[in-house]
Amino acid sequence: MIRARTFTDARQQSHSNAELNWWIFMRISGLILVFLILGHIYMTFIQVSESDATFDAVVGKLANPAWKFYDWLILALSLMHGANGARYSIEDYVRSRPNRAWVKGVFYTVVALLFAFGTVGLFSI
Amino acid sequence: MYRGREGQWAFLLHRLSGLAILAYLMLHVFSIGSFIFGERFYMAIHETYDLWPFRVGLLFVTAGVVYHAFNGLRIIVMDFTGFGVAYQRQMWYGVLLISVLAFIGAAATLYPRLVGGY
Repeated sequence: MIRARTFTDARQQSHSNAELNWWIFMRISGLILVFLILGHIYMTFIQVSESDATFDAVVGKLANPAWKFYDWLILALSLMHGANGARYSIEDYVRSRPNRAWVKGVFYTVVALLFAFGTVGLFSI
Repeated sequence: MYRGREGQWAFLLHRLSGLAILAYLMLHVFSIGSFIFGERFYMAIHETYDLWPFRVGLLFVTAGVVYHAFNGLRIIVMDFTGFGVAYQRQMWYGVLLISVLAFIGAAATLYPRLVGGY
């Protein structure tokens, strides 16, 4: 994990290319997600309410390919961003090596299953 | 490095809000995606989510996302510009202010629905 305050520090601290790429990915995906998620919250929570999210409304909205793509982009980017962020926390707070291995294993499995579930759901309409 | 100062609280809040949003996201993907199990299964979950503690909870999710988003932008500014680190404390107070305003704004907009039902 990289504890850097500037890009130059990050490049010096990263032990592998993968680690540096994840560091860059967090910045880029974060920047995109700011617009995607704040837009999503505004459109689906501030403008309309939970009780409007009925079965028919959700199926009707997701039938539109534009919303399908928008929601799938959120699904993919936010799960990767969230999984990597949680990995930073796991590496910081789960100190013993065997515990870290199975905690990560279970966590990655759940995230992968959820990603598959969401993708199948989105494209099954 | 910056123990006990604003930077440490910003870091802690960023982690906590991130983990909380991730927990919400996982529930959210499951509950919305559950429409593939049919209308009855989907609506059973969503009638529960319509109870008022969940509606108020969504306000905190909104404020948490706004904090995480704007603090993330603050981190990006710190990472890629020279002045970012020098002004990180002032920017953090700005982020807090935006988060509080978002919470109040969302609560004010949704107030009739929050207290009176939909």
